[in-house]
Amino acid sequence: MKTPTQPSPALMDLTLTMSGSAVSRFFPILGEGLLIKGPGGESVEGFLQKAAGVSPAYLKDRVQTVFLDGRALDDFSTAVVGDGAVLALSAAMPGLAGAVLRRGGFYAAMRRQISHEAGGTAAAGAPITITLKLFNLVARDLGPGLLGRGILIPGGQLRDFIARQGRWIWTECTAVFANGKPLDAAKVVGVLPGNGCVVLTVNTG
Amino acid sequence: MDKILRIDMGADGGPKTKTEPAGSYAGMGGRALTSAIVSKEVPPTCHPLSEDNKLVIAPGLLSGSAAAMSGRISVGCKSPLTGGIKEANSGGQPSQMIGRLGYAAIVLEGRPKDDTLYRVYINKDKVEIKADKSLKMLGNYAVAEKMKAEYGDKVSCISIGPAGEMKMAAASVAFTDMEFRPTRHAGRGGVGAVMGSKGVKVIVVDDAGCKARSPKEAEKFKEANKAFVAGLRKHPVTGQGLPTYGTNVLTNVINEAGAYPTKNFMWGRFDGCSKISGETQAETENARGGEGSATHGCHRGCVIRCSGTFYDKDGHYLTKQPEYETVWAHGGNCGIDDLDAIAMLDRLDDDYGLDTIEMGATIAVAMEAGIAKFGDAQAAINLVKEVGKGTPLGRVLGNGAAVTGRVFGVERVPVVKGQAMPAYDPRGVQGIGVTYATTTQGADHTAGYAVTANILGVGGSVNPLKPEGQIELSRNLQIATAAIDSTGMCLFIAFAILDQPDTFQALLDLLGSFGGQKLTGDDVVALGKSILTMEREFNAKAGFTKEMDRLPDYFKKEKLPPHNVTFMVKDSDLDQVFNW
Repeated sequence: MKTPTQPSPALMDLTLTMSGSAVSRFFPILGEGLLIKGPGGESVEGFLQKAAGVSPAYLKDRVQTVFLDGRALDDFSTAVVGDGAVLALSAAMPGLAGAVLRRGGFYAAMRRQISHEAGGTAAAGAPITITLKLFNLVARDLGPGLLGRGILIPGGQLRDFIARQGRWIWTECTAVFANGKPLDAAKVVGVLPGNGCVVLTVNTG
Repeated sequence: MDKILRIDMGADGGPKTKTEPAGSYAGMGGRALTSAIVSKEVPPTCHPLSEDNKLVIAPGLLSGSAAAMSGRISVGCKSPLTGGIKEANSGGQPSQMIGRLGYAAIVLEGRPKDDTLYRVYINKDKVEIKADKSLKMLGNYAVAEKMKAEYGDKVSCISIGPAGEMKMAAASVAFTDMEFRPTRHAGRGGVGAVMGSKGVKVIVVDDAGCKARSPKEAEKFKEANKAFVAGLRKHPVTGQGLPTYGTNVLTNVINEAGAYPTKNFMWGRFDGCSKISGETQAETENARGGEGSATHGCHRGCVIRCSGTFYDKDGHYLTKQPEYETVWAHGGNCGIDDLDAIAMLDRLDDDYGLDTIEMGATIAVAMEAGIAKFGDAQAAINLVKEVGKGTPLGRVLGNGAAVTGRVFGVERVPVVKGQAMPAYDPRGVQGIGVTYATTTQGADHTAGYAVTANILGVGGSVNPLKPEGQIELSRNLQIATAAIDSTGMCLFIAFAILDQPDTFQALLDLLGSFGGQKLTGDDVVALGKSILTMEREFNAKAGFTKEMDRLPDYFKKEKLPPHNVTFMVKDSDLDQVFNW
């Protein structure tokens, strides 16, 4: 579950240009997790603002379901993010389970055994790397910006993701660059490293 | 809806119909009505497939009106799966049509003296019952096509597949959707087997010439409906999350919580989760395209539109968008991470007329028994086909997880009162475990679903942080849900009325203006309690004891990774759920 403190340096920069709204085809990979570097000793709220540019207002309004290391979180401002943490962000979810897992919700007691307890320690200022998972509407909201700036993800994860998409993904892709050089789309899966990380950038054009 | 249609399938000389005033059942709808009729008229100790059982099909209180989201329909009987009272509900077109025809319920009674199979046709002028051998062992899709060819596409169908004819305890009752496909099911508890025992293959509902039901206070009703729809559309769950991703949006979230039952409830996380998540499903559907791909309603008047249409890789229609429970049951719970295979299993379930939750749970139990390997999608498809064919193995599987576990000597069988658990591990979300254990219906996530209890103040003010909070919350949720199940309203309205007091008030105004009386939260609570009381009394007379309000022992002993938790709610606390 924990990621290494220092992820391997990126072995490849892969830049794709997708037509129209097809950048959304990559939103599901945001749910598998991307690596984010940022300052240690921060609350969830502080880390997301400083490392990913996510505003507290957005978190408060949109991000209604949060997991830190697999435990449902109720308060952004008191939980501290540690190195190697896994942080997952989701909008409000339907049904009783959605209500129960909701941040600070009335039914939070129904999942007491898997709730995150406030607190945590980490050296202030020391850089850390966490895995950030973005689900559903949060991926849709934040995905275009993050993908446009480039995300750091394990190469094997990206290779598997692209391999199972089928033919559609290339029909909506207008350009592929690997380490700054044009690449035949059909060769992407073959050149992605199984180990190490890749910076994936997806533009709309 | 002031009359009840009774069809005596065992009458001398063949089936006889009788239409009578609703009488003491007047003013009831949905689950309130099915449970009232079953508890009053069905001997609790009867065999569920005997002539003494009754199958009650009842639209909700608002069905047939112009109220949004009011197209749910309830099917009630004594359950062949649990041995207790059952209410299973569904979307689809028939609820609105039966409401417009003026029927509060259709009740199938008695049992044919031979194995003749019948079709029933109902319009505003007549009820026609015909023996029809040509329907024997047809799948629901073929039945719908046959009925459409004969009656046109403006009618709707309520039917059973081969599983119902074979009286399997996992058999469902199918309801046609807006495209005349039999994709909506009252799935739980084996209601399809009871319909099969009555010898009824299909009920064709034709509301030609009928008008929408009129509210008593038309202007107030119109305003309330407008406010209610606006509330649903502006809420992020009902206005964005559900329409965009469907109910399968829960997969990633429940998995992250470590409460996603995986490989027959052995783990709380599934490695292949992202391949079958709602996000992936919606992107797949959108990429393949086609009419109603990722966003579609299950009946006219639905404004949430949490369903969709699943086309195969070549663009051919395969099934409706599989719901979260189905994707979990046939997916993660069986170690299968292939959306196309899961969609095929959903199609087969719908065609044979099977509850997808029960079948997924059953196949997982069979996998644990070594009948197939976890993750083997083709083997799972073959097992469901065994059920459809009625082979000896298929007959075992078609009778559900509990029977399959007994036949193959498996201890880890996730059932309560004989009914398989849905897609939330009760060790992860213990409050849901309380509902699984204590509901009158057998393990059922929708029995404590309507998250309105806090607004209603059901049972007084609850402090959820107290140890007994989970018991009180479950009680209050079950009360609220029983009431909502009687209105014909889809349970997915819950979040909007939880978060937005004005939307909740709009719902009360909608109900009140339709009947011409002011409705309060207290009235809703009283209704919920009365339904649960009827159901509890029926079950007690059927032989249920408090010892049946329990989860299987292994949930208390086996720790669920990754959080390594067991179910910790005490039996003595479970016994307090209905102590109001």
